[in-house]
Amino acid sequence: MFEMDGEMDKKKKKKKKINKKEKMEGMKKEMDIVSKRQTPQGFRGLTSAFAAQVLERDGPNELKPPKGTPEYVKFARQLAGGLQCLMWVAACICFIAFGIELARGNVTCFDNLYLAITLIAVVVVTGCFGYYQEFKSTNIIASFKNLVPQQAIVIRDGQKNQINAHQLVVGDLVEIKGGDGIPADIRIITSQACKVDNSSLTGESEPQTRTPECTHENPLETRNIAFFSTTCMEGTVTTGMIINTGDRTIIGRIATLASGVGNEKTPIAIEIEHFVDIIAGLAIFFGFTFFVVAMFIGYAFLEAMIFFMAIVVAYVPEGLLATVTVCLSLTAKRLARKNCVVKNLEAVETLGSTSVICSDKTGTLTQNRMTVAHLWFDNHIHAADTTEDQSGKSFDQSSETWRSLARVASLCNRATFRPDQEGVPIPKRLVVGDASETALLKFTELTVGNIVDYRERFKKAVELPFNSTNKFQVSIHELDDPLDLRYLLVMKGAPERILERCSTILIKGQELPLDEQWSEAFQTAYMDLGGLGERVLGFCHLHLNEKEYPRGCPFDPDEMNFPTSGLCFAGLISMIDPPRATVPDAVMKCRTAGIRVVMVTGDHPITARAIAANVGIITEGSETVEDIAQRKRIPVEQVNKRDARACVISGGQLKDMSSDELDEALRSHPEMVFARTSPQQKLIIVESCQRLGSIVAVTGDGVNDSPALKKADIGVAMGIAGSDAAKNAADMILLDDNFASIVTGVEQGRLIFDNLKKSIAYTLTKNIPELTPYLIYITVSVPLPLGCITILFIELATDIYPSVSLAYEKAESDIMNLKPRNPRQHRLVNEALAVYSYFQIGAIQSYAGFTDYFAAMAQEGWFPLLCVGLRPQWEDVHLQDLQDSYGQEWTFSQRLYQQYTCYTVFFVSIEICQISDVLIRKTRRLSVFQQGFFRNRVLVSAIVFQLLLGNLLCYCPGMPNIFNFMPIRVQWWFVPVPYGILIFVYDEIRKLGVRRFPGSWWDQELYY
Amino acid sequence: MSANKDSDGWRTFVWNSEKKEFLGRTGISWLKIFLFYVIFYGCLAGIFIGTIQALLLTLSNYKPTYQDRVAPPGLSHTPRSLKSEISFSLSDPGSYMKYTETVENFLAKYDELRQADQMKFEDCGDSPMSYTDRGSLDSDQGQRKACRFHRSLLAGCSGESDPHYGFKDGKPCIIVKLNRVVNFRPKAPANNQTLPDPLQTRSQPNLIPIFCKNKRDEDVDKIGEIKYFGLGEGFPLQYYPYYGKLLQPQYLQPLVAIQFTNLTRDQELRIECKAYGANIGYSEKDRYQGRFDVNKYLFCCT
Repeated sequence: MFEMDGEMDKKKKKKKKINKKEKMEGMKKEMDIVSKRQTPQGFRGLTSAFAAQVLERDGPNELKPPKGTPEYVKFARQLAGGLQCLMWVAACICFIAFGIELARGNVTCFDNLYLAITLIAVVVVTGCFGYYQEFKSTNIIASFKNLVPQQAIVIRDGQKNQINAHQLVVGDLVEIKGGDGIPADIRIITSQACKVDNSSLTGESEPQTRTPECTHENPLETRNIAFFSTTCMEGTVTTGMIINTGDRTIIGRIATLASGVGNEKTPIAIEIEHFVDIIAGLAIFFGFTFFVVAMFIGYAFLEAMIFFMAIVVAYVPEGLLATVTVCLSLTAKRLARKNCVVKNLEAVETLGSTSVICSDKTGTLTQNRMTVAHLWFDNHIHAADTTEDQSGKSFDQSSETWRSLARVASLCNRATFRPDQEGVPIPKRLVVGDASETALLKFTELTVGNIVDYRERFKKAVELPFNSTNKFQVSIHELDDPLDLRYLLVMKGAPERILERCSTILIKGQELPLDEQWSEAFQTAYMDLGGLGERVLGFCHLHLNEKEYPRGCPFDPDEMNFPTSGLCFAGLISMIDPPRATVPDAVMKCRTAGIRVVMVTGDHPITARAIAANVGIITEGSETVEDIAQRKRIPVEQVNKRDARACVISGGQLKDMSSDELDEALRSHPEMVFARTSPQQKLIIVESCQRLGSIVAVTGDGVNDSPALKKADIGVAMGIAGSDAAKNAADMILLDDNFASIVTGVEQGRLIFDNLKKSIAYTLTKNIPELTPYLIYITVSVPLPLGCITILFIELATDIYPSVSLAYEKAESDIMNLKPRNPRQHRLVNEALAVYSYFQIGAIQSYAGFTDYFAAMAQEGWFPLLCVGLRPQWEDVHLQDLQDSYGQEWTFSQRLYQQYTCYTVFFVSIEICQISDVLIRKTRRLSVFQQGFFRNRVLVSAIVFQLLLGNLLCYCPGMPNIFNFMPIRVQWWFVPVPYGILIFVYDEIRKLGVRRFPGSWWDQELYY
Repeated sequence: MSANKDSDGWRTFVWNSEKKEFLGRTGISWLKIFLFYVIFYGCLAGIFIGTIQALLLTLSNYKPTYQDRVAPPGLSHTPRSLKSEISFSLSDPGSYMKYTETVENFLAKYDELRQADQMKFEDCGDSPMSYTDRGSLDSDQGQRKACRFHRSLLAGCSGESDPHYGFKDGKPCIIVKLNRVVNFRPKAPANNQTLPDPLQTRSQPNLIPIFCKNKRDEDVDKIGEIKYFGLGEGFPLQYYPYYGKLLQPQYLQPLVAIQFTNLTRDQELRIECKAYGANIGYSEKDRYQGRFDVNKYLFCCT
C-alpha cells in the first residue's frame, strides 16, 4: 500500500498525489504518536476503560462493508431496464383497456387482463433472474470479513485476556504465536524467531522474519511491523502493539481500494445494453408511428393505445435476455468441468475477446515447487527430469562423482517427508523444510532411493544449519561402513563460498587439485546455470582424519571445532520452479489466437526471463535491448528499441517510467516480461494495456492483487494458491491454477460469442412475423391474425429451447487461429445480422404466416378479399349474423373461435419457419451439410420438443378458452412448409455466395 | 461538450460529406441495396400471390370447404340488443324508435312485392313440410329458386297492422331467425320428451319449434304470455337447405315473431329463447348458438 502510494504519486494526477501523501503522512504520524505515548505504560497494556474509549472513537476492528446500494434499489433497478419499462407500459395499457371494457359492462374477453398479468410476470421473473446473478457476483467484501481472526490474546490492565479480535483497539498489546492470524497491524515489541507469511499481501512467498528493530523507512519493508490478515508461521510468544485497526489497516485500505475500482462493464454487457437500447427505441418508434397512423385512420384513442401495446409486445424479444443468460451459464458449466469456475457469467464471453493475458509466473506458468533442474559434476552439465510426472529422461548416474554428490545432497539436508505418504507419488508428497531443501530431498529420494534409511546408515554427529552470514550448511556423519571409523563432513551452500573452502575437486571419482583451470570450469558452469535463472548450490565433502577426530569426538557447531576449509568439491546442483508441461503449448495457442501473454512476476529478472523463454513467452531468437547491445558491442542507449522484440522490465525500472513510456514499451515490444514487480504495479500494467485498447485478462492470487483483478476486464484468481479476497475480486477462478485452463476458457469464450450471435439472430427473426400481423390488422383491417398471448407463447415457451440449443453448436472453423475480436468493430449484433434477420428471413416468415392465415380463413368461408376491411363488423360483439363469402351467418363467438384458429395457424407457421431458421443458424458461413444436421443432438431434440409443445398447445383440451389455441386441421401445418424450404435454400445460396466470393458485395451485405 | 460531439456524430452519420455517405451508405450502395430488396420482395410477393391464387383454385365457389366453425347455426334476433338489453320507455317514442326501425328495415326483404318474380321465387306450401331439394351444390344448374316467405305470416308482428311492432303498447315483438348455413338441414326434434311441456302438444314433424321462457327463476311470474307467429310457429323445413350466396342470392330464411304480451314493467327481465331440433346444438361459450337470451326492460308509462 505504501509502496503503491509511492508509485501512484508519480503516475496519477497531482490532486490525487496530494491526497495520498496526506493520508500516508497521517498514518505515519499516528504511528509515532501511538508508539511514543503508549510504550511508557510498558507491558501492562491499556486499561480497559481507556480501551473502551478508543473503541468508541475508532469503531470495532473489522472491515466495514462498503456502503452499497440497498438491496431493494438493486432489485428495482432490475425491473426498470429499457425493455422492462416498455413492458410495464404495455401492462398498464392492458389494465386500463380491461378496466374500461369492464366499466362498459363488456366482459366477454379477459385477454387484456391475462396479458397484463403475463407481462408483469415476465418482467418480474427476468428481474429476479438478473438480481440473483448480480447478487452472486457482488459479495466481494464478505471474504475480507472471513479473514478476521475470531480470537486474540490481549494484555490489558496487566492481565492476559482472550477477547474477540474486533474488540481490539490501537495501542493494545497482543500476543501472537506460530499459527495465529495477525489480528491487526502491529508493531513488534518482543519476538523470538518470529516469521510471518506475507504472501497474501505482498506476494513474497518466503516467510518473513519479524524482529523489534526498525529496518526500513517503508512500513511494508520494515521488519518490525506485522500486518492484519497475514499469519504467523513460526515463533514462540511474540508481543506487539496495535498501530492500526479495521479499515485503517493495510488490508483495509486495499479492500476499500478494490471496492473503489469500479466494476468495469463486460464487453458483452455493453453489447447487450447497446442492442437492447436499439430494440427499445425501435419498439417505441414503431409503436408510436402506428399509434399515430391508427389515430389518423380513425380508431378510438383507447384502441390506438392497445395497438401501441400490442406492437411493443410483438416487437420486444421477451425471451432474449433469458436465452443469453442460459447460453452463458451453459458455457460456464462446461468451463467448470475444465477447472475454470466463472463467477460472473458475462466473463465467459469477455474471455473470448481477450487480447492480452497478464499472467503470474509462480504456480500459474510454473509448477510452484522447486525442482532440481541441472547438475554439474565431472565438468559436465547434466539435465535432471523436471516434469510433473517424472516422464522425462534422466542423466547418466554411473559416475563415482555422482555417488559422492548424491551422498552430500542427501545428508546435508534437514528436510523430511511428512509421515503417512507412502501412496503419494514422490513429487507430490508434503515436506517439512524450505523450498530448495525440499527440492533436493525429492530429487535424492527419486534418484538414490529411500532417504530415511540412507540417513539412518550415516548417523549424524553434528549439524550447523544454513545462516545468512556463513551462507553454507554443514553436518558431520558417521560412515555406513562400520569398519571405517572416519567421520564424513558434508557441506552445501552458495557456490562461490563453497569453492573458497575447497582445495580439491572430484572428477570421475578422482580427487584432483583445484587449480585455475578447474576454477574457470566451475565459473563457466556457475554462470551458465545462473543464466538459466536457476538457484545454484555448491556441494563439497571431507573425510575427517580418524586420529584427529575419533569416534565420540565432541563437535560443537558454535565453535566450529572441525575443518571448514581444504574440502573436496563434489559438484553443483541447480534448482528452478519448472514450467508446467501444458504451458508451452498453451502459450503457443495463445500466440496463434492473436493473444499476447505478458508475464508479471515478483521473481528475479533472470529467472523470469528464463521461464519466459522456456514456455515461449519470449520466443527463440527474440532479443532484448540488452542482448542486442551485447551482441553488437554497443551501449544500450544506441540500440534502436524497435529492433528488440522482447523486453524485460523490472519493478525498479517500472517505478521510474511515466505511463506514456510504459505504453510505448508495451506497444513496441511484443514480448514483455515484468520482473520484481510488486503486485500493486500490476494495476499500472493493466491500466496501460487497457489504454492501448486491449481486453486484458489478469491472473492473481494475493490479497493485494484484488485491485488489479477488478480493474482487469477479466480477473482470474487461482483456486489453490489464491486468497479469498483475490477470488472475490476475480471474475473467474482457475481450480487447478493452470495457465492452460485460461486458454480453454478463451476458446469457449470465442465459441459462445459466435453461438450467441446465432442465438440472437434466431430469436430476433421471429419478431417480424409477430409484428406484421398487427401492422396489417391496423392498416388493412383484417381480422387479427395473431394474438398477444400467442406471441408470448412463441417468445417464452416454444422458441427458448431451440435458441439455447444453438449454444451447443460446434465451431465452424478453427476459432483459435483467428485474431481476438475488436470490440469496436465486431459487434455481437451488427447491422447485417439485424437486417438479414428482420428484412429477409423475418419477411419470408411473415409471408408464410399470412399464407397459412388466409388459407385457414378461406377454407372456413372467408375469402381473402372479403377479409380486407372486415375488422369493425368482425369485432362487433352484438352482431350475431355476419355473412361470410358463401352467405353463411356467423355469431360473434363463432367468429372469435375462428380468430383463435387463425392465431394458432399463424403460430404454427412461425414454428415451422423457426425450425428451418434454427437449422440455417447452425452456421454462418459453412453449408449446413458441411456442419452436419444431427451432430448437435441438443438442437435435434429442441426441434422435436418444439413440435411436441406446439402440438400440445394446439390439441390439448381446454386450450381454446385459456390460451386461445384451437385444434387446427392437419393440412394447415403443411402450408408454411414450402416457405421453410425457401428459407433453407435461400440461406444456403447466401452462404455459398459468402464462401465463394469473399469480400464481394454479397459478402459485405449478407454475412453477419 | 460530449453532447456536441454526439450531435456531430449524428450529423456525420446522416450526411458524411467526406465520403459522400447518406446514413452510412453512398448513393451507389443505396441503389444496389434498394435494387436487391426490390427484387427480393418482388419474388416474395410473387410467390405469395401465386400461393394464394393456387389456394383459391382449390376452393369451391358454392360449397364451403369446412363448416365446423359455423354449424350448428346461431339463432339471431331483430332488433339486436344493444349492450345486451332491449329497454325502452312507453312514454318516449324515441326510446323504441331505433328498435322499430331496424325491424322495419329487416322485414323490408320480406315484402310481397319483392317476392313476385316467378323465376326466383316459388310457393312452398302453407304448412311445414320436408326439405326442398334443388339439386346438388356443385352441379351446373345455375341459380335456384327460393321459397316465398311473406311478412304477413307474422300476423300481429308483421308491421302491417301495427307499425310500432307492439312497442307502443308495451307488447314488443322480436323477429327471430336461424342463421344461414350452406347445405344445412335442420332436423325436427327426435322425441318429444326433450321439449319443454307447452311444446310437446304442438310438436309437428317438419318444424323446428322455438320456445321462450324466463332465464332466471324469480322472473317466472313476471313474463306473462308469449305469442309466437310464423309458419307453424317455428322454422318449417321446406325452406332448407340453403344453397349459398351465389346459387340462391334471393334466399329468405323463415322467420318467427315472438311477442311478449304481458311483460311486467319497471323490471329487468331475462328471457331465453331456444330453437329445438335434433341437430341444433347449444354451447356454453356461445350464447347465440341455437338459443339466445335477452334482457328486456320496460319503463312504466308514467
